[in-house]
Amino acid sequence: MGKGIIRIFQTIGAAFKEGDFRCRISFLLMGFGQLLRGQFVKGAAFMLLEGAFIKYMVSFGARYFSKLSTLGTVATQKVRRKTIYGDNSFLILLFGILTVFVILAFAVLWYLNVKDNYEILKLVREGKKIPTNKENLASLFDKNFDKTLLALPVTGIFVFTVLPIVFMICVAFTNYDKNHQAPTNLFTWVGLENFEHLLSFGSSGMGRTFAQVLIWTLVWAFFATFLDYFLGLAVAILINKKGIRFKKLWRTLLVVTIAVPQFVSLLYVMKMFANDGLINGYLMKWGWISSPIQFWVDPMLARITIIVVNIWIGIPYMMLIATGLLMNIPEDLYESARIDGASGWQMFRKITLPYMLFVTGPFLLTQFTNNLNNFNVIYLLTQGKPLSMKLAENAGNTDLLVTWLYKMTVLDTNYRMAAVIGIMVFIVTAVVSLVVYNMLPSVRDEEGFQ
Amino acid sequence: MKKKKIAGNIVSYIVLILISIVWLFPFFGLFLQSFRSYDPKVEYGGMVDYLVPKTFSLDNYRFLFSGQTNFLKWYANTLIIAICVAVIQTVIVLCVSYALSRMRFSGRTFLMRFWLILGMFPGFLTMICLYFLLKQFGLTQAGAVPGLILVGTASSGMGYYVCKGYFDTIPKALDDAARIDGATRARVFFTMTIPMSKPIIIYTALVAFMAPWCDYVFASYVAFGHDESFNVAVAMTRWVWTNDYQGYFTRFCAGGILIAIPVTILFMCLQKYYVEGVTGGAVKG
Amino acid sequence: MKKKVLAVLLAVSMVAALSGCGANQAATAVEGAADQAAEAVEESVEEVTDAVEEAVDEVGEDFGTGEIKVWVADAVVDFTNAKIAEFMEANPQYAGYTVTVEPVGEGDAAGNMITDVQGGADIYAFAQDQIARLVSAGALEEVAPENEAAVKSENDPGSVSAATVGGVLYAYPLTSDNGYFLYYDKSVVTDPSSLEKILADCEAAGKNFYMEINSGWYQTAFFFATGCKLEYETDDQGNFTAANVTYASPEGVVALKKMIELNGSKAFQNGSAAGEATNVAAIVDGTWDSSTVKDLFGDNYACAKLPTFEGADGKSYQMSGFGGFKLLGVKPQEDDNKLAVCDALAAYLASGDVQLARYNEVGWGPSNLAAQGSADVKADEALAALGQQLAYTIPQGQYPGEYWELATALGDSVRNGEISANSSDDDLMATLQSFQDTCVGYAK
Repeated sequence: MGKGIIRIFQTIGAAFKEGDFRCRISFLLMGFGQLLRGQFVKGAAFMLLEGAFIKYMVSFGARYFSKLSTLGTVATQKVRRKTIYGDNSFLILLFGILTVFVILAFAVLWYLNVKDNYEILKLVREGKKIPTNKENLASLFDKNFDKTLLALPVTGIFVFTVLPIVFMICVAFTNYDKNHQAPTNLFTWVGLENFEHLLSFGSSGMGRTFAQVLIWTLVWAFFATFLDYFLGLAVAILINKKGIRFKKLWRTLLVVTIAVPQFVSLLYVMKMFANDGLINGYLMKWGWISSPIQFWVDPMLARITIIVVNIWIGIPYMMLIATGLLMNIPEDLYESARIDGASGWQMFRKITLPYMLFVTGPFLLTQFTNNLNNFNVIYLLTQGKPLSMKLAENAGNTDLLVTWLYKMTVLDTNYRMAAVIGIMVFIVTAVVSLVVYNMLPSVRDEEGFQ
Repeated sequence: MKKKKIAGNIVSYIVLILISIVWLFPFFGLFLQSFRSYDPKVEYGGMVDYLVPKTFSLDNYRFLFSGQTNFLKWYANTLIIAICVAVIQTVIVLCVSYALSRMRFSGRTFLMRFWLILGMFPGFLTMICLYFLLKQFGLTQAGAVPGLILVGTASSGMGYYVCKGYFDTIPKALDDAARIDGATRARVFFTMTIPMSKPIIIYTALVAFMAPWCDYVFASYVAFGHDESFNVAVAMTRWVWTNDYQGYFTRFCAGGILIAIPVTILFMCLQKYYVEGVTGGAVKG
Repeated sequence: MKKKVLAVLLAVSMVAALSGCGANQAATAVEGAADQAAEAVEESVEEVTDAVEEAVDEVGEDFGTGEIKVWVADAVVDFTNAKIAEFMEANPQYAGYTVTVEPVGEGDAAGNMITDVQGGADIYAFAQDQIARLVSAGALEEVAPENEAAVKSENDPGSVSAATVGGVLYAYPLTSDNGYFLYYDKSVVTDPSSLEKILADCEAAGKNFYMEINSGWYQTAFFFATGCKLEYETDDQGNFTAANVTYASPEGVVALKKMIELNGSKAFQNGSAAGEATNVAAIVDGTWDSSTVKDLFGDNYACAKLPTFEGADGKSYQMSGFGGFKLLGVKPQEDDNKLAVCDALAAYLASGDVQLARYNEVGWGPSNLAAQGSADVKADEALAALGQQLAYTIPQGQYPGEYWELATALGDSVRNGEISANSSDDDLMATLQSFQDTCVGYAK
């Protein structure tokens, strides 16, 4: 990393020292050297981009960038009945960060321009031929095809994923909440205050609640991942068994839960399990129970019900995956085991399971991290309820960190704390991934696999 | 021995039948409820604790098609979003996967690691930010449909794993042979790789197509206050969650059926490719 | 050829050089902040003079053009459209404005407005519990001075105080029916005046009694009945400045014990939406559900004020609760003319005649005194029951948004047995104490 930076500066220095006037003017006027040397396409592209950058900064970016350190100072005021909005802290932060990105991108572009000039110069001095416009363009579909392919996707990810994430990380260090809302009110930087609040275990702090929600999040992810995994495997083995007919039919019946949009199926299931829902209704009508089973009311029962309902959704995925993989296990392994007198269970433990675990290790890890952030199942079924007097900030007994932070933003507009929790979610996910990933037996050298 | 085998099979069949019943029961319930009328003269239309309607009627379906709500508009919105997202996302994923699988350029591993880390941030946090970004381009409320397409596809490059894994299995020797014959990378990509990737293309498109049908959270953020640009999930969860729409439960069921049937049929038809995709994805992580 | 290229190059480089003052640009940007602040002050001075000029201009009655967005509940979209058409016809001076009505429920409106004030509606209906939150987010404009006196005198005092935050009137009362009472099935419930008897009847018949005890709104029926207090004071920015809460008291324990007892009944179901309830014999619900309940009970439809209950201390208490209101608000505007049109339109939509028409259309009980006095409204069974109940309720004032979630937590704690019939009085008191402390903590 350090070496790379040094090399960058060396290139810039060399280009300036050794460069001719074309090269030096290009330091200010990008693309100048290329144009003079006949590389019109490349030169014009550089020049246009510089123009666009300047236009962006003058007409839009500078305005926000300059206020980034304070997030705005001009308050909204009223003139008689009319409202005159002052600085909008939200937009200053958002477009301020965007401008930082644009500046960084421009710096990279500028370096590329200098480097390109210098390289052309070297070619000239060595008496070699400079690539023509046509060759430059053609390289975009051959040698530099990766740049063509990746330009749009990478830009998209920067604007619609990286920028928002950087924004939210910044919010964690501000006091953006319901009393400091743009456009009417300003918000500003507060340092680590929000983190202290989350991790303080006093009576007013959120520490205890955070700990409980975090533990449930991990417990949930564990059960949701492994129960689904083993039950799915079991169902797959059952269907794959010799002598079972209509294999395709059974599989098709089960995958309905993947196909039907979750907001339809889960909302219906939620109603079914309600205290006054179908299941309780019939059980009571048949006299099996005298008072309703509190599926969504009792905290423990609610958690169990969620996990069970999730099995309903999760098994089919695992079944589909396992079906394909089970067929890959060489039949003679089982054959020889059978000759040795192994029982079905022994064969499962010694042959099937190790193979499956080995092959699907990375998949299990992704499943686990996905379940840590499994918003839909929890939100559509319980919205985090039941709430409890023992938990702070409206957290419920079935809330995951993500549903909790979602409720914070929607019900309370408490963005500062939501952002802090978001960062915590990231840390949890990253730690789990890192630890588990290094333990996986099947982590292989990528090149070797090809 | 043979008897034992038959007994075992019978047990297996019983278990399978039980599982199937449990799996299908909610859909069966949904289906039956959708035929209960909401007209009190026919049958009480609110929540009930019995499964089979006393009279079967098509009132709910008639209601959905009658224009009293924007149901058809919501349906069309979702369909448009789903199709556009499926097409654009597939193209992007193919491009990214090819570049990452076949080409070696500086920053390649950095890019892959960086995206992996990005994926660990919870997406909900960024909604308010995306809302104001879209608003800057006029892609909220009235423009919510293109806005949702943009957001649905903009970051799809990060979902390259499965597709790249598939490309990795296509022997590189094929590419090299073609390139020795003078074909450019682009030619190889368009005339060799893509035609060989039908299963993975269908898988990517299918997964992308199904996602917008469930998008409640972000869509409700972007489209709020503009009924005509809702998608089905946003519009219909209101019928269950808000008190303004009491007695809409049977209509919700009918709408749910209308959404579930085409998506399910499509899924069933392309199930083979889906299985190939998830299995491959699971193995390659 | 070469000459041409050179000419082009020169031209390009000149343009670039001109815009190449980029270096200076950074300096300008730093100054920009200071400049803008100064500009803002200048602007505001200009605005004042403008405003004075405009005030003079107003005689000319040119309101310009624009678009006005209105949010109301789905049930009254058609009604509102019709009324707006009448309004525009009667006021040709506003013809430059187009009004669009969108179905956004009173519950969702506040959240959406707060997400993006500038993108939200210009006029919107909301439930009163959201008003403080809306004021502090800057999503509500004060009621126009010319309408203020009329709003205050024509609507019932409870609704006016609900629309007032810290002494400033922020919204137009729309309905005065956001209270609750008892609907019951005559064939099952024999005596609707006692909670114990209602439950006994329901249990005997194997039917359900619905009340949403995990809602901060319905829960107060118990606490206010035994004489507990829960009040807040606000300043005119919507900030809560002081709280008067007496839940942690012997009276509070009596109320909480009754909630626990009710929760223990096998006839009890938690809920308040008639359309979502099953196997119902009685439900505590509001007027907005009257038609659903009529469908549900058919000929056995009946309603009454809330029952009394017998406390653990042997005394009998009349259930109380909140009388609530729906309000219509106008968003702050950057344009005086548009604000004037919005004010006029909101005042019209909340006027007595329109309230009465709305009652006739969808059955929402008016807050306007004259409309309340009309024969139709007086003859309404559900509204009559609500009227009787209102004698025992407390007009709902301003409550911080967190209160509602906290109350849900209290109710859930009762429902999931965290506090139960087995809990000692000390445990109950401790729970109420923490509830009370948290409530007081919301006011700073």
